[in-house]
Amino acid sequence: MSDPSPLAGDFFSLLARHHASPLRTAVSPDAPVQTQATTVFAFHFADGVLMGGDRRATAGNVIVTDCVDKVLELDARSLLAIAGVPATAFEMARVLQTSFEYYRRSQLQSLSLPAKVRALARLLRENLPMTMQGIGVVMPVFAGVDQTVSPPAPQIYFYDPLGAQFHAVGYAASGSGAGTIRSILSFQDRYGQPRPTRMNLQQAVQFALRLLMIASEFDSATGGVNPDAHTFATIKVLRGSGVETVAAEKQAELLKS
Amino acid sequence: MTEEPYRWLEAIGNRREYVREQLKGGSPVFAASLPDGILLLGVGTGHSKVFELFDRHAIAGLGHPADIEKIRQAAIDAAHLEAFNRAPEDVSLRRLVGFGLSPQLKTNFEQIFSAPFLVECLLAEVGAEPNQDLIARLHFDGAFQLHTKGVVVAASQSEAEAAAQTWLNQTLAGKADRNGIVEALLEAWWCVTENKPFGDGLPSDAERRDGWRKAVNGRSVEVGWLVRKSNRRARYEELTPALSSL
Repeated sequence: MSDPSPLAGDFFSLLARHHASPLRTAVSPDAPVQTQATTVFAFHFADGVLMGGDRRATAGNVIVTDCVDKVLELDARSLLAIAGVPATAFEMARVLQTSFEYYRRSQLQSLSLPAKVRALARLLRENLPMTMQGIGVVMPVFAGVDQTVSPPAPQIYFYDPLGAQFHAVGYAASGSGAGTIRSILSFQDRYGQPRPTRMNLQQAVQFALRLLMIASEFDSATGGVNPDAHTFATIKVLRGSGVETVAAEKQAELLKS
Repeated sequence: MTEEPYRWLEAIGNRREYVREQLKGGSPVFAASLPDGILLLGVGTGHSKVFELFDRHAIAGLGHPADIEKIRQAAIDAAHLEAFNRAPEDVSLRRLVGFGLSPQLKTNFEQIFSAPFLVECLLAEVGAEPNQDLIARLHFDGAFQLHTKGVVVAASQSEAEAAAQTWLNQTLAGKADRNGIVEALLEAWWCVTENKPFGDGLPSDAERRDGWRKAVNGRSVEVGWLVRKSNRRARYEELTPALSSL
């Protein structure tokens, strides 16, 4: 009997047909120490969603690098902030980037937001063996644009390591420093003047940079922000119209003003 | 037994004749390498003729919509697999056409008991600089030519295709104004579809301008643009709405 017909526009079935599985499901008991620990977050502000993350990667108590981009543009209307084991997380981002673009080009329409959210959940579920062995845990934050409403509205989703997806009303955070900034985000959301949803871009970027400064004070694995050393964060803004990257120079300028 | 090769040759000849007959009247498509990118143009009647393939790649084709779709899908599959297994920078038009589409088309054309592909197409790859652009003219039997500059035309009649290509390359030499180039391509499109000559007896400027404007009524003009310099990886844009300014 022949194989079932592949689902139209599904990059995963194309990979399966060519025996090119994106994620490993078996691991060695002698697996090396994985780099992990981080702080990534996303919150709604007046223009859309701001997604930010520090740039540090660690392995145990060793700082591997302070130049990692953990907020990734998957396509013109979706962002992924990765927390957890970078080897797996970056591979998931690469699979999603190719998968979303493959669908858009082959089907001549963009994948819907719920489908994008589920595609990430599916990858997390498929990563379960690595997660259960404690060396492949990934807990991402995803932001995408809901095109079914007018005007198109950016939304935030967060996940547990098994692939459960949750819609974040105001904000989401992940990584070892997330506990600290989740408290600040909650406080600001309830009592802040202005609240994050009322902030303009300048206020939102300042707020994001200060969140990372605080997170780095309580979490050694979070790189934080140090203007004197020209160390800034990765910050991207998702609007209904698309993605904008806030470069280090602009972050420096906004932090000063 | 000794007759078999001759039967096969005859069958191939009949097949070539059949494909050309089926493609007759197909609406030609164009690709032009310009300083800022590559422009692709097609005029369709309900079916799209110009498509994005990959980050720096696009296709424009004429023929049976189902066959254009098969070629498009095969190219998209191959490009995305290559990009995923290696890197997006490794997806090249030369390999996509030379080792992917062309052998498939040739094999299909020579299998005389299966339906042939009714398709003629252009595939384009925008480079970092204009001299790195590549436009492939791919035929229904798998034959292809690679062009690194100028305008390339795909039409159902080879004589008209060559005449239109020569005229466009002479007319558009050194020009970079996108609207002016679209206008010239549409004039050439009208001349090819109306069997007007490109040498002696070429319709006047006014005739050509009026001609294409009347002829595109009820059809859709599709313009694809592969932009050379961009912060985004996907370089393809649809320019169709900009046509109203012509």
